[in-house]
Amino acid sequence: MLKYLINRLFWMVPLLVGISLISFLIMHLAPGDITATEASFNPKTSEESRQKLRELYNLDKPVIVQYGLWLKRMSTLNFGHSFASHQSPVFWQETDKEGNVTKGMIQEALPITLLINVLSLILIIGLALPLGVISALTQNKLPDRSITIFVFIGFAIPSFWLALMLMYWTGVSHNWLPISGLHTLGAEKLSAFAQLLDTLKHLTLPILISGLTGLAGISLFVRNGMLDVLHQDYITTARAKGLPENTVVYKHALRNALLPLITIFGLSIPGLIGGSVIAESIFAIPGMGKLFYDAVLMRDFPVIMGILTIGSALTLIGNLLADLAYAWADPRVRKGVSQ
Amino acid sequence: MNAIIKNPLALAGLIIIGVISMMAIFAPCIAPYDPDAINVKNILLSPSSMHLMGTDGLGRDVYSRMLFGARISLLVGIVAVGIATIIGIVLGAIAGFYRGWVDTVIMRIVDIMLSIPTFFLILAVIAFLTPSIWNIMIVIGLTSWMGVTRLVRAEFMSLRNREFVLASQTLGAKDSRLIFKQLLPNSLTPIIVSSVLGIASAVLVESGLSFLGLGVQAPQASWGNILTDGKEYIEFAWWLSMFPGLAILITVMGYNLLGEGLRDALDPRTSNNK
Repeated sequence: MLKYLINRLFWMVPLLVGISLISFLIMHLAPGDITATEASFNPKTSEESRQKLRELYNLDKPVIVQYGLWLKRMSTLNFGHSFASHQSPVFWQETDKEGNVTKGMIQEALPITLLINVLSLILIIGLALPLGVISALTQNKLPDRSITIFVFIGFAIPSFWLALMLMYWTGVSHNWLPISGLHTLGAEKLSAFAQLLDTLKHLTLPILISGLTGLAGISLFVRNGMLDVLHQDYITTARAKGLPENTVVYKHALRNALLPLITIFGLSIPGLIGGSVIAESIFAIPGMGKLFYDAVLMRDFPVIMGILTIGSALTLIGNLLADLAYAWADPRVRKGVSQ
Repeated sequence: MNAIIKNPLALAGLIIIGVISMMAIFAPCIAPYDPDAINVKNILLSPSSMHLMGTDGLGRDVYSRMLFGARISLLVGIVAVGIATIIGIVLGAIAGFYRGWVDTVIMRIVDIMLSIPTFFLILAVIAFLTPSIWNIMIVIGLTSWMGVTRLVRAEFMSLRNREFVLASQTLGAKDSRLIFKQLLPNSLTPIIVSSVLGIASAVLVESGLSFLGLGVQAPQASWGNILTDGKEYIEFAWWLSMFPGLAILITVMGYNLLGEGLRDALDPRTSNNK
């Protein structure tokens, strides 16, 4: 197991270098240099201060040296400061000379996006498992057919449209749920529990959107996995030796059908993170997606690069965790690598 | 072709795509009004026989705009997937045929691209380019070739050592002949299926980008930006948000049905199960 872990960690290094290279190259796609965008936020920026900025980002050095220096800063998790929002640190908090702490932009946004995604994953699992199992058990009969239709709609429905419709229905025409932001105005005066409830209410729609759009794929996956397993010999054996159908389905079949799901969750992380852009910007949730979208609109390079790198690193970590969980759950993989 | 017609999923998909493509191609003849003609007297009219899908905040006919929007959505989807498929076939063929270090390098690049959240990557690139439909096609194409590459590589690797390939290699066939005459034609089915499914997701990505204001720019109509315009009027003009969303839903579903149906129809293993 340890050898497997070391091997996996070793493979992450070239991937991280590649990711940083791509983020770096994207920054250099920009026409002109990045000091021009800084100047556009602050027209008073003189040629002298632009020169300073060029030195700060080492733009006066050859590209390959710039990349090396950027990599060096990156390895200490120093992503620099935002151009657009008053020089806030991009990644983590900083303390200035007077002891004032400025929170990092990603530091504040990341937990929100992670919370939404974890909750929507729970929602997805909670709904996709029964749907997939029912579908597999009633293959080609009415329940399966209706679930399949639902899956096709789920694959095709644009998440922003669904968000808009739900927002209109629950927020505007019925006023059941808040449709924007993370807190009600003045929520800080409420008790801790009421504040939590308030935040959860604000998160309901984003979680619902992210959950419903991910549901189709996972339930189809559970269905096909179950069908695969149900046709295997050991299931026939289990039935032949007279085990009750429930034991066969839930103990023998489902467990094995769920195994590949671990990998699928690992693979779905970049999609979930990327998908947060749309939901968060519609509902004005101050998470990673909204931060990225605003940075793109403002051409706030340090933030764009920071989020690209952190987002990709998160994906790598997610994949690593998924692989480890798989190895833990499947003795074949575990034993295979420890030999 | 027979297999497609016999498969209800594929047939349904084919009909949907066929109808929408026809509407897109003949948009200039079908459209009752000029899609960009502003008419301040007819602002926010609800759907009627005069304006099938009503009018928008500038008095433009939504049905005409939807027809022209279809052209954009389909064009972006098809061209983007075309770019991705060509890159995927070339890289996948090289990796799967020659193996060795070339294969390792290509597959590492695929891994790297797959670990960057795609939508972030697309937005980041678009941030630095002027948004136009050509740039969008190129960016979507350049960020979605990884799946095809893996697919082609896997097909090539499994076909590479089959008897018929070995036989012609023994007879002295050149690499190019093996690749183009034997391996590629035999890998076409999964490539076609994945391209059709790819168009579905490209249409979704384009409409998402246009919805966020980073895709097709006004006044050019696209389903995504009609929806963005409609967002402001959602309380009193439901038709502005309803029709573009439905159009995207139906189109994407059409491509998905066609893709899944083709997979079933052309793959003897799954079609026997039914």
